[in-house]
Amino acid sequence: MITGLDMDRRNLLKWSAIVPLAAAAPYTALAAVPQGVDALVIDRRHWPAGTPTPLAGLAAPQLFTIDGDVTQLWYQTLDPIWRKPGFVLGGVTGSDALFVLEVLAGDRGRRVTQRRVLDPVVAGLQPVSWIIAPHHPSVKG
Amino acid sequence: MAVLPPDLDAPGFARFLEELRGAVGADWVWSSEDDLGPYRDSFSPVWDTAEERHASAAVAPAEVEQVQAVVRIASKYSVPLFPISTGKNFGYGGPSPNVTGSVVLDLKRLNRVLEVDDRRNFALVEPGVSYFDLYRHITERGLKVMIDCPDPGWGSPIGNSLERGIGYTMPFFRDHYGASCGMEVVLPNGELMRTGMGALPGAKTWQEYRYGFGPDPAGLFAQGNFGVVTKMGFRLMPMPEHYRTGLITVPRRRDFVKLVDHVNYLSDAGLIGEAVYSSPLAPLMAQPDFLALATKLGGPADGDMDAAASAAGLPSWQVDLQFFGPEATTAASWDYAKDRILSDIPGARALDGDHFPLPATEQQMLNTTQPYRSAIRRFGALGVPSLGMWKIVSDDGHVGFFPVLPRSGEAVFEMQRVLGDALKEFPVRPFFNATTTPLYWHSFAFQMVYAPSVKRSDPDHNAVVHASMKKLVAVAAEHGWGDYRAAPIYQDDVAGTYSFNNHALRRFQEQMKDAIDPEGILAPGRGGVWPRRFRK
Repeated sequence: MITGLDMDRRNLLKWSAIVPLAAAAPYTALAAVPQGVDALVIDRRHWPAGTPTPLAGLAAPQLFTIDGDVTQLWYQTLDPIWRKPGFVLGGVTGSDALFVLEVLAGDRGRRVTQRRVLDPVVAGLQPVSWIIAPHHPSVKG
Repeated sequence: MAVLPPDLDAPGFARFLEELRGAVGADWVWSSEDDLGPYRDSFSPVWDTAEERHASAAVAPAEVEQVQAVVRIASKYSVPLFPISTGKNFGYGGPSPNVTGSVVLDLKRLNRVLEVDDRRNFALVEPGVSYFDLYRHITERGLKVMIDCPDPGWGSPIGNSLERGIGYTMPFFRDHYGASCGMEVVLPNGELMRTGMGALPGAKTWQEYRYGFGPDPAGLFAQGNFGVVTKMGFRLMPMPEHYRTGLITVPRRRDFVKLVDHVNYLSDAGLIGEAVYSSPLAPLMAQPDFLALATKLGGPADGDMDAAASAAGLPSWQVDLQFFGPEATTAASWDYAKDRILSDIPGARALDGDHFPLPATEQQMLNTTQPYRSAIRRFGALGVPSLGMWKIVSDDGHVGFFPVLPRSGEAVFEMQRVLGDALKEFPVRPFFNATTTPLYWHSFAFQMVYAPSVKRSDPDHNAVVHASMKKLVAVAAEHGWGDYRAAPIYQDDVAGTYSFNNHALRRFQEQMKDAIDPEGILAPGRGGVWPRRFRK
């Protein structure tokens, strides 16, 4: 299940500062997401179950949440979008989800342009902050 | 790590690349180390070692004519090409070639679904079409056919079937090469050939009768290196009206022998989809005493395993059964399966699973409606592509050894014991133990699985994995069990085990390779078949 919500940069910074990721690094990384990102992907596995997620009322860009499985995000959203030029995607996900997205991005002429491995590993999950951007001339906006 | 093709110097390589750019466009030829990163085997146990195989470049044509042009240019410069469809062959080498310096022929831009017919139930696709693409094409048009896809489903029907990959629906469809019908192939000289009825101009039966007339060479292109497949047909299952599940459990270890025989009958009679075996005792492996029993050298006594099952209050084995078809037919088939098995195996029990009309709802796909713990992965079982499998991939991926064994309980017990004992010298988890069950993926044979993880940050661990893979290939072969699919770094080992009559099969394949591709333009070494130029 994915969720698309709108969020602007100010709200992103505010939001990232209160997302209960276990250590400082994740929200530092979130806060470091550059302007120009068209959407963010957040992996729900990296915050404790039952914790309220402060997602409501945020303005563009879009926010997508996953539970580690990128299937629906890919099929419903990224596959169509990544066939067209442009679209910079950022995220904080498990390294497993990033592996899948990175491979799929490569098929569409895109690259991971920023990657920061975050601490701590929680329940065997390695969080990573990343950005995927167009690389090949056919998809550069 | 920049590499050159075999026997080609840097100026020659530059001229070769320039000709490729002229054929497909400058944007679709890559040779920088950065650009070639995606063409490494990211699951490789020999990552960053001398054994890792590296491409020298990659080229992505968009049309069949461009594929032909690339093959002819490669032939002119004697550069080996390594064709890939979408390059998702993870666990079996990914997109990496057999020969360092090969140029990856990336067919991802040939991505057209050419035809899906839901009256005659087939599809014709290009190699860059993924299972997701085919599924989207079918669902958006409301076509009444079901695909059979692997898990994960991001690979291509052509690539997966050429690797003899599998899915999870009915036997007739889940052997993906077996369900293929008709190929178009670019040969090593650049010529275009069609197999079966495709060779008859004007024929409308290319995807319905695979043989045509005379010898059928289609098998040469599966796990082979005799051509580049640019189109391929597949039979599709008409969308079933209904899906039903049921679970059978049996109490004693030896009951597995009869259980397998019954399920074989149900499968071969076309009554069930993939049967998923498991052991309710497997969670007991977390207990040291049970672990010691289930991994005992030479295998445990049946009585000891039965006593452990009895003490835990658990049956020894279970099988998830799946039925496709009209609702009444699925109900009758399940009733028949229950009667047949329960009347023959004392203590066997049957649990009715959920059943529903197709297409399934989201909750049904997520398998939350099943009244018991099931080993079935619903997405694959219902032909819906998924990427959820990646959540269970640990470390930096894994390699895979999947020995083929007979569909009998006795054979399963023997493989548990033999390969379990063979692995004892390696510090890996006990893949083969007294609770290990077979995979019923291919339609008429079992496989068991050894898939240890790899860790790029731990070369010692990877060396253990690498050594254990080679040992298992050898030990399995001593017992008549062969791998069905392997990464390039293991293909020679595996091919070497198919050695009847002093390797007559390999010598025959080499003769053919020498005849049509002596310079090894197409994937030299793939499937263990080397042309004269590369034979040691």
